[in-house]
Amino acid sequence: MTDPGWEQLLYGIAHADDSAALHRYRKLVHDRMAARLPRQQTELFYDELNDAHDAFVRRAIQLAGQEMARLGNGIPPVPFAYLLFGSGGRREQTLLSDQDSGLIYADSYDAAEQERNRQYFSDLSARIVRLLLETGYPLCEGNVLSSNADWCCPVSGWKDKLNGWFAEPAWESVRYLLIVADSRCVYGDGSLHDQLKDCFYGDVLSQPIIVKRMLENTMKHKVLLNIFGQLLKEQYGEDAGSIDIKYGAYIPMVNAIRLLAIEANLRESSTLERIRSLEQLGLVETEEAAEWIDTFRLFLRLRMLTTEKFENGQFTTNGKLSSGKLTKELSEELKSGLKLGKKLQRKVYRQTMNRL
Amino acid sequence: MVKKMLISICAMLVIFPAMAFAEEPSAAALNMGLNALWVMLAAILVLLMQGGFILLETGSTRMKNAGHVAGKTIFTVGLCSLIYWAVGYGIAFGGSGNDFFGWGDFFFDPSKTSVDNALPPTLFFLFQLAFAAVSLSIAWGGFAERAKLSVYLIFTILFTAIIYPVIAHWIWGGGFLAQDGAQDFAGSTVVHLTGAMAALAGTILLKPRIGKFNKDGSANEILGHNQVFTALSVLILWVGWFGFNAGSTVAVGDGFFGYVAFNTQLGAAGGAVAALLISWAVLGKADIGTTLNGALAGLVAITASCAFVDPWAAVVIGLVAGVLVFYSTRFFEKMKIDDPIFALSVHGAAGVWGTLANGIFATEELAAKVGIGQGGIIDTGSWHQLWVQLESVVICGVFALVVSFILLGIMKSVMGLRVTEEQEIAGLDLSEHGNYGYPEQLKKASSTNIQA
Repeated sequence: MTDPGWEQLLYGIAHADDSAALHRYRKLVHDRMAARLPRQQTELFYDELNDAHDAFVRRAIQLAGQEMARLGNGIPPVPFAYLLFGSGGRREQTLLSDQDSGLIYADSYDAAEQERNRQYFSDLSARIVRLLLETGYPLCEGNVLSSNADWCCPVSGWKDKLNGWFAEPAWESVRYLLIVADSRCVYGDGSLHDQLKDCFYGDVLSQPIIVKRMLENTMKHKVLLNIFGQLLKEQYGEDAGSIDIKYGAYIPMVNAIRLLAIEANLRESSTLERIRSLEQLGLVETEEAAEWIDTFRLFLRLRMLTTEKFENGQFTTNGKLSSGKLTKELSEELKSGLKLGKKLQRKVYRQTMNRL
Repeated sequence: MVKKMLISICAMLVIFPAMAFAEEPSAAALNMGLNALWVMLAAILVLLMQGGFILLETGSTRMKNAGHVAGKTIFTVGLCSLIYWAVGYGIAFGGSGNDFFGWGDFFFDPSKTSVDNALPPTLFFLFQLAFAAVSLSIAWGGFAERAKLSVYLIFTILFTAIIYPVIAHWIWGGGFLAQDGAQDFAGSTVVHLTGAMAALAGTILLKPRIGKFNKDGSANEILGHNQVFTALSVLILWVGWFGFNAGSTVAVGDGFFGYVAFNTQLGAAGGAVAALLISWAVLGKADIGTTLNGALAGLVAITASCAFVDPWAAVVIGLVAGVLVFYSTRFFEKMKIDDPIFALSVHGAAGVWGTLANGIFATEELAAKVGIGQGGIIDTGSWHQLWVQLESVVICGVFALVVSFILLGIMKSVMGLRVTEEQEIAGLDLSEHGNYGYPEQLKKASSTNIQA
């Protein structure tokens, strides 16, 4: 812990009274973490930052629950788990992250109870999402939100959904399955989430067509390196000369490692954890795993550097690293990282196709 | 029935007695007829290339300028024809000139038919005029989307009367470069480089279009409004180029025009393929615009050398042109020179390369056949032809650039070259002509306050 006030800050978040207080804490977290950006160890930085993001979500859930009780809706009728997807699921959120969430709750066998549960969790989710929005977490543009009925279901509903996606391996279904692969339980009854993952892994490995489709999706984003080994920079516009770190480096690696993890039946959602588990299982050589970890850390570090602070104090990022920040050394480092990323993509492709 | 036929035949014999008693045409007359037909066809093909330029320039620019960009080409081809007839042809090919410009044949009044079975001068004029018009249309690439209509009027006169014909005289009209043995079979230098240099002078003096470059110097991509137009334009130009290159034999002769056409096809193909591949390799995505430019660059490059090189060399010349055009485009953008239709790269850089390529790839046999200069380094081991080619490129390029720059500079100080900022934003269709080329789309867009 490099920041002595950090524990206090987390405590403050966990005891905030309302969304206005959460919003103040969010700003504080921003400022503190942004100040630490240049000198922070990558993994530690992400760990602490994601602890804070998780704390905000947990507090929002508690506050939403209190609101429900105050309005006479009582306590949750059955156990539930609040899930994060995307970078939240992987614990790789940056300073600027939006909401990607879902909710899973225990089944009831009585129709009236089912309807009551649906109503309760639908109301609860809407409040959680609203509170987080007020805190400063924008909504997911793809509407992957617990307030969307598609992503707020009982265990049986989730299983039906997964089976439906497995049965119809269209591009969209595969995208949803890959979203679920990165899910993480941030609050509530983790066993519900485990049931979801059991169902996911039970089905995915027995269906080669799904794995093939996942491979296509996984390879969608190309590493930003041309055949001469030069960086592919933005050519036009205000960002001319910059590198799209998010989609040209980070996401291709996340995708490749995710597919390896799925094929190895690994439940971890964080990319670094996935690599470590692959190594422990002997599926990747120690040396290779170490290279992947170094490279992924580099991408995470560069991703932090893409954050810009505007004059009015607002933070924003377009995932692109401006040419000014790309020193010659960093550029060389990035090039070798991207070469490794390309190699990794080829490996995943070969390995997956060989299995099919 | 029989009676009717007999009456008809008698009537025909009375009306067309020659049909009954005609002599067999001489071989020379037949030869002239065939040559005349071929040159007429070639002139039509080259004139049709203007259709390619209309689509090329329109497709590569924005909707709000479409009517202007397309329509002004018809106007300038018309004006160019009158000026070339009155002055330009005389400066290029007039019989009483010197090594530096021709003189005579102003307001050209040629014989009505062939004299001594030579190619009718009317056809030679039409063919040469079509070339001058192509060079002029290339120059407009540098003026696109911001020059006043009056600039098109005045500069057409100056370019057609002074700039183009002087260079044409130097290389094709018996001028000093022709005497040196400069090889430029169909005009990589005369037509393409000259047009490109005028475009360069124009675009430098006009300055970049609004929004092309940011304050920090980075460039924005101003996409053309119709890539299909642009692709179709390339095909039209490609087909027209058979008239341009193969027609430059100005004779059917022993069928050598077929060989010239054959090399032309190989050069264009090499350019298109190389451009797509290099953009794919360097950018990670195969760029359609670059591919189209590559085909044109291949054609421009092979224009000088199509009659002088072996087929393999035509392929190499096209391939190099395709790669060159890709890097040249990036170079001009880096230099902050706005080149909306890529005229500087497609016609300038590739024109220079095509002319120099003669000095490398020309064969002694073909140079002797065409009767100009000698073989290049590879065939003869001599650097002489390359030196001659370099000399012609530098002299013609510098002349076209400097004279265009001076003339346009004077025009700029006297009348101004560029429309106002407001007019440029509204589009030249509206500011110069009062109507949109795409009225439905643009009126709808402006009513919802979207800028086209």
